[in-house]
Amino acid sequence: MKKNSFYLLIGCIALILLIIFWYSIENSIRFLTECAFIIGVVIIYLARRQVTDLVEDERSAKITEKAALRTLQVFWVLFAVFAIGTVTALFRVPRFPPGFRPPRPEELLANQGDIPSPRLIGYLSLGLLCMMIFLYVGFRLYYARKYGEWVVDEE
Amino acid sequence: MKNKIKVFRAIQGLRQEDLARKVSVSRQTIVAIETGKYDPSLDLAFKIARFFNVPVEEVFMYET
Repeated sequence: MKKNSFYLLIGCIALILLIIFWYSIENSIRFLTECAFIIGVVIIYLARRQVTDLVEDERSAKITEKAALRTLQVFWVLFAVFAIGTVTALFRVPRFPPGFRPPRPEELLANQGDIPSPRLIGYLSLGLLCMMIFLYVGFRLYYARKYGEWVVDEE
Repeated sequence: MKNKIKVFRAIQGLRQEDLARKVSVSRQTIVAIETGKYDPSLDLAFKIARFFNVPVEEVFMYET
């Protein structure tokens, strides 16, 4: 398989995943997206092995390694901040002790802004994931340039 | 690290692609080494020197 065909395959899989994602939201089928994502990633990894004109040598491995390391170093801090903030806010969700009395509407409205909704947590998680991908691409471009990926020579 | 890969290539009439194929790296890696953008590993440095049939110190000059 040529590398352009491989990139085309990735694009097609991404498109199919988007359609499955939309379908599963419309029909509230959570496991469909999760299974489809895992299958898509496995297909990409298997197809990657069939690519013939993508030469992987020590320089490209070093670029990948450095980009991945820097992405992890930045991402774990951001993700920890997000997780700690979410857990801290969620700890404020009231439990139900013995003799529980349902809160009055004015109490509910007063506390509504403090507790993050599951939808907001979901959006933030997806946003973090997208940000991690952008981070990796950015670092990859940086190290590719640093190690001479686009150096023009005489030949 | 400076190197004389271009000189040795010229002596033997080799293109970058030919050398890359002989030492199992991409042409871009040879370009990056020649322009000083990338320092090869010991393994690759010795492969290149062995290919040109010279000691590694004649091909690569370590500078502090």
